[in-house]
Amino acid sequence: MRAMLAIARNTLREALRDRVLYLFLGFAVLMLVSSKIFGLLTVGDEGKVIKDLGLAGVQFFSMLIAVMMSVLLISREVDGRTVYNILAKPVRRWQFLLGKYLGLLATVALNLTLMALVMVVMVRLYSGEWDMGLLFASAMILLEMAVVTAFATLFAVLTRPMLGTVFTLAVYIIGHVAEDIWLLTQHITAGVTRPIVAAIYYMLPNLERFNFKTEVVHELSIPPGEIAVTIVYGLAYTVLVLVLACVRFSHKDLT
Amino acid sequence: MTRSVAIAAVVIALLAVVVTCEVILHNAPEADPLGKRLLYLPSAEVLRLVSLGNDGLMADLLYMWSIQYYSQFDFREKFLYLDTVFNLITDLDPRYFDAYRIGAMIMSVQKHGDPNQHKEAIVRLYDKGIRAMPEKWEIAEWAAWDAYLVLQDTDQAVEWMGIAAERPGAPYVLQRLYGVWRDNIHGWTVEDSIAHWHEVLAGAETKTEINLATSHMYDSYVTLHRRSLDPMLRDYFERTRSCPESWQELVDAGWLASVPTDYLGNPYGIDTTTCTMVAHKKIRWD
Amino acid sequence: MSNVALRVEDLKKTFDPGLLKAKVEVLKGLSFEVQHGVIFGFLGPNGAGKTTTIKAIAGLIWPDDGAIEICGLPHTDEAAKRKIGFMAENPYFYPYLTGREFLDFHAELLGLARDTAPTRVSQALEKVSMSDRADRLMRTFSKGMLQRMSLAQALLGEPELLILDEPMSGLDPLGRRDVRDIILAERERGTTVFFSSHIIPDVETICDRVAIVVDGTVQAVGEVRDLVAHEVEAYEVAFVGAAPPALTTPVLASQTGSDASWVRVDSGHRDQLIRELVDDGVRIVGLSPVRSSLEEFLLVHFQGGES
Repeated sequence: MRAMLAIARNTLREALRDRVLYLFLGFAVLMLVSSKIFGLLTVGDEGKVIKDLGLAGVQFFSMLIAVMMSVLLISREVDGRTVYNILAKPVRRWQFLLGKYLGLLATVALNLTLMALVMVVMVRLYSGEWDMGLLFASAMILLEMAVVTAFATLFAVLTRPMLGTVFTLAVYIIGHVAEDIWLLTQHITAGVTRPIVAAIYYMLPNLERFNFKTEVVHELSIPPGEIAVTIVYGLAYTVLVLVLACVRFSHKDLT
Repeated sequence: MTRSVAIAAVVIALLAVVVTCEVILHNAPEADPLGKRLLYLPSAEVLRLVSLGNDGLMADLLYMWSIQYYSQFDFREKFLYLDTVFNLITDLDPRYFDAYRIGAMIMSVQKHGDPNQHKEAIVRLYDKGIRAMPEKWEIAEWAAWDAYLVLQDTDQAVEWMGIAAERPGAPYVLQRLYGVWRDNIHGWTVEDSIAHWHEVLAGAETKTEINLATSHMYDSYVTLHRRSLDPMLRDYFERTRSCPESWQELVDAGWLASVPTDYLGNPYGIDTTTCTMVAHKKIRWD
Repeated sequence: MSNVALRVEDLKKTFDPGLLKAKVEVLKGLSFEVQHGVIFGFLGPNGAGKTTTIKAIAGLIWPDDGAIEICGLPHTDEAAKRKIGFMAENPYFYPYLTGREFLDFHAELLGLARDTAPTRVSQALEKVSMSDRADRLMRTFSKGMLQRMSLAQALLGEPELLILDEPMSGLDPLGRRDVRDIILAERERGTTVFFSSHIIPDVETICDRVAIVVDGTVQAVGEVRDLVAHEVEAYEVAFVGAAPPALTTPVLASQTGSDASWVRVDSGHRDQLIRELVDDGVRIVGLSPVRSSLEEFLLVHFQGGES
């Protein structure tokens, strides 16, 4: 445990010193500038536009960090000789991988938290309200990023950095269009194809499950049961992918 | 140093060329500049896929674009694809309140084409919004006012105001407005009107609200009572060739059991020149 | 208690590059032992299997067959890992860590007690002469400094067995001397050192024992002086005056001086040369065996392995 936490702390420190927080600053500037512009362009509720933009920005920048940093912090170390000195020590392979994952997730979480706070302040400035629902939506985005980061970790172990990036982005995109795959099954009447497609749908990560932007922006109620199941879904999927990553990594020859 | 200066000069020259070309192209007249751009509007499904879960933002961007786009039109011109654009926006974000009201406003502004078709489009748009936000009274109220003031369609206004008044959290005043408008168009029976005003009175909290509800209630009762009392006066006139001076004459003649009173318990009067019932409405507003 | 710090027995490893590519058998039953307290060199040509062996010992690669024991324990045991200090070739560094932070991190990985870890870090820095530069960012370090830091993290746990993969690679002569001195100092402390290197003079100078690896197996193992001692490949015969012009004995080399000359022949022609010189009336003043250097010894084995 101590080794795992040391690896996590070190990973976070590496990310912070690698100026990853500049992305948060970029987000803050984007929010400031675009809020001003949208205020001029739109008619009606400026607050809605700022919330939509803010949540989209939080999600996009968090995804960017998850994908980019996984290459820098995990792929680079696993793919090269960087991991040799660590794994030659009394550190289990799963401890190394989980440590790396936790460090990367902490990096994403830190940036996400800062971006969420900026967004809440911007909304307060333009619409006069403290919308704490935005923090809830951001927390769900963080859960989504936990799943995406787990996939980034898995692909870092399975393949080369560039391919890993592509696969992670593919998971992100597929995760957001999974619903459409489900709709596709409804149009298929042929025998065996429909259950196969349905099975694929249920197994793919449906990242839209973590999307509560509409509910938060339009102040709709969300059943607590749905939130609970969503959290369980996210955590279970994350653990599943990490287990696969650890199993693969434990058998991997580090050539 | 010379090399750096030469490189800087080349870069600046190339930038100047690039900017000049863009200025020229930007100012060049375009064939059908407004129509062409809209030919490539994708469907809501495609935009939803592309947005990767940010339907609301996509709707915002499209909405802001549409405001800038339609602001270029003269109100006498045909506003191209107006229906399509605002349907696209409201498909992406069915709860986008501003899209419905501004979309309807833009539709109402244009003068080109058949006004009835514009009105139908506005009604369709508002109906869509009202269906999409069943818990929101604001959209129905806004639609009702647009119908009343802009479309000048009181029937439609009454329908929407009735929906607004029934929705959770609707302000009390909407019930009153609905009653007044419906009374004005005679859109219901007087018995229904009276039942409605009883409900409104039951919900009144302030003195003003009570007085207003009472006033409308009074008017409905007057209408109800007039239904029977005015024909009675006409009958009496035909038989006796004179209009009674007071209701007591009809009581004495056995036509009425007692002198008829209004909702507040005050006796009605008779206008002997027209031989019709007269109500003496007295409501203390202080 | 066993005297063996490292035992590798019948190690086999085949790599499968992919679908359409042929498998590569790198280790074909490699065996050797390293006694406690010695400096053990591990030599071989490119592709011999040195790095694969070292990685297998460090637990970075999983052998297909065979056994590896560190101080009597299976090499994958946590207890075994605590006994080793490993230094990889071309070490990675975290660019935004200082040298001290880097060692602090490795101290955490080793599970060193928090109260004694700073002392151990300072001692490790002292050993590799990096104490005065430890608080600089590692991205400002030269290659030699990085090599020292890599060695420092290997020494941090005061290991019983040091495993070094090309520890002097890329260093200038001063740097190589410093690393040699550190290795010798560790041996004085009783640490067993196992390292691979291409720099043969270094191996010759400091190694007590050497294993020659060619084509996935150990071709020869023993003390350096013993490995080269059996191989007297030639003799030099020194004599007065010039060499006779009509020498029939095949000559490997010769040199004619004003007062004396010498001729070198292979071992098999030694007696023939002496007879010829004596018959020609040449006065022989010296006869010296020419022993192969380790480099030459290796070249013979490398070429044997290739054929």
